[in-house]
Amino acid sequence: MSGETPTYIGFEEYSKHVPASIPAAVQQATSRFVNERAARVAEMPDWEQLRQNGSDIRLHTIENLDVYLTRFETAVLAAGGYVHWASTAEEARGIVVQIAKDHNVKTAVKSKSMATEEIGLNSALEAAGIQAIETDLGEFIIQLAGTGPSHIIVPAVHLKKEEIAALFSEKLGIDAPTDPLELARIARETLREKFLSAEMGISGANFLVAETGTLVIVTNEGNGRLCTTIPDLHVAVVGIDKVIPDWESLTVFLKLLARSATGQKISTYTQFITGPRRAEGEFGPKEFHLVLLDNGRSRVLKDPIGREVFKCIRCGACANVCPVYKNVGGFAYGWFISGPIGAILSPQILDTQVARELPFASTLCGACVDVCPVKIPIPTILRHLRRRVAQGDEFAGPSMPIAIKATAALTALALGWSWVYRLGSRLLLLINPFFRHDGWLSGMPYPLSRWTKVRPLPPFTARFREWWQKHVSRDGNEISR
Amino acid sequence: MTNPVIENIRLSLGRTAKTPVSPRPDIISPRQPEPVEAEIQRFLKELKALSAVGQRLSPDSLAEAFKSLVAEQKIRKATVWETAYLKQLQVGDRLRALGVDLISPHAEKHLLAQCDLGVTEADFILPETGTLGLRSSAEKPRAVSLLPHTHLVIVTPDALRADLHQVFAEAKDSPYLVFITGPSRTSDIELTPTLGMHGPKYLCVWIVDL
Repeated sequence: MSGETPTYIGFEEYSKHVPASIPAAVQQATSRFVNERAARVAEMPDWEQLRQNGSDIRLHTIENLDVYLTRFETAVLAAGGYVHWASTAEEARGIVVQIAKDHNVKTAVKSKSMATEEIGLNSALEAAGIQAIETDLGEFIIQLAGTGPSHIIVPAVHLKKEEIAALFSEKLGIDAPTDPLELARIARETLREKFLSAEMGISGANFLVAETGTLVIVTNEGNGRLCTTIPDLHVAVVGIDKVIPDWESLTVFLKLLARSATGQKISTYTQFITGPRRAEGEFGPKEFHLVLLDNGRSRVLKDPIGREVFKCIRCGACANVCPVYKNVGGFAYGWFISGPIGAILSPQILDTQVARELPFASTLCGACVDVCPVKIPIPTILRHLRRRVAQGDEFAGPSMPIAIKATAALTALALGWSWVYRLGSRLLLLINPFFRHDGWLSGMPYPLSRWTKVRPLPPFTARFREWWQKHVSRDGNEISR
Repeated sequence: MTNPVIENIRLSLGRTAKTPVSPRPDIISPRQPEPVEAEIQRFLKELKALSAVGQRLSPDSLAEAFKSLVAEQKIRKATVWETAYLKQLQVGDRLRALGVDLISPHAEKHLLAQCDLGVTEADFILPETGTLGLRSSAEKPRAVSLLPHTHLVIVTPDALRADLHQVFAEAKDSPYLVFITGPSRTSDIELTPTLGMHGPKYLCVWIVDL
């Protein structure tokens, strides 16, 4: 699953095959992050104001995106970097592979990047004979295992230390103990050699500062620093949604990001990179390339409700509190990004029909909105996308089953005209005698059997409006007739 | 020259090249600094919470501090930024006197990677988060704070800044800036906290009074 763009995401099917160990491990991680986040937020008296700032600035940037991207490009060029624009994932892969070939690259070290996962860069590089090595410990482990991430921050959290030791023993040809600290040390030594010999470093970016053309990269392990400091060539692949206006805005996002993600006050390393190195003895890349990835984002901007997804700063807080995500983990979401944010991003980038199950993979409980550092109205976008999936939109035709469409149309009719509703509820009374057992309705025919097999229904009474008038209208609520 | 990505964005947003940019929303005001002593205490407290070692030293106590650092971390090879301040503190000479081999900070990367210790200054201290800010230049190579197992930062209270706003106002035109907050860490294997994943495992900060 690391790589190819999916043609259909079968969330329901995937979620049936999730091993029981995954929710257990994922919940350990999420509950730790939730608690740590809560502790950090409690220390910040102006947290709500910061969130509002974050939300306002991200929205403002999206609404003026052409201006800030143009400004950013000009500044990168002025700093001596190269800027490449990629409309599609294929174009982006082609650009990176070409840069690698032009520099005779045999090995590339990679710092964790969602954009390169999105475009499936690793397989493209391998096809061109270039070894691409993930260097974040979790990413390194899942690359060896050949699986996808189960969590955005701790991608290999579903693997036990014994499994990782077996993996290291098999793939690295060494006798690996089951001690996490020892396993980390082995990974450090293995990867250190790669950092020193690789000809190219590949990264993403957390933010692009338009004011000065600066790339902001946040890591805890330091692999991001090594990838962008040791090799002579640095290529960054970044979505066009990552730009922010200026350094003043950056103060807000750096305060929000780590606190929301891992519950740290700030991540261990934050780098601010503007162009290639200036002096010979300084270290850092001689050549700096930036690939700005569209891949459907400019199309998504057309939808004023859906585009708020681009406010996202990829902290993962929404997944950590999501009751659905906590029970299925990252794999079920079928692409590089999981949890509530994945459920609103994938359908928009891929196509609502390709990821049509994802907007429904939610209870709409709203826990995600409460923790989102940039106040993305996730449930609103989920409902909006459900409507787009059901009714079709300008990007794809409708393809709901006829039966569901007919039911939806009839429901709309019944709820729209009260006499139809009244007539319908009277007619339902006629059903009661056929299925009534011990005061409950059960054993009803398909499709109602899907419900009654699990639990019986109370008999229909057609008294709701009467009940409502008696109980509720007293409080002054008007009832339309 | 038309850029299809920019063109598509404008089309989707209903903008043209001439549409003006709306004013950027306002941002809450920066944190106000406390007295220097309180800021230093706050910084030291944060360092401790991050498993870094922070100490206040007078120039006279440097010799003793180097002696214990070299012994405790078994330092055999070291590399030092060639800045005026570190030269003035005679960092290189002190290390050599303790039997440590000095490698040039401009040495080839494999050689530098063999160093047990890298010594740098810091341009900025952010006490609230326990953060050090380092710019780079020809005298201040980026790899010195990154490749060795132990990173020693020698800094004066002059580097204190109350909030990110002040740091960014001063540093935004620098080609490179890195914030370092504690030693390199990961929790990627069964959420086990692990220090020294790819960067230094030991971070020592000596605040030297002027």
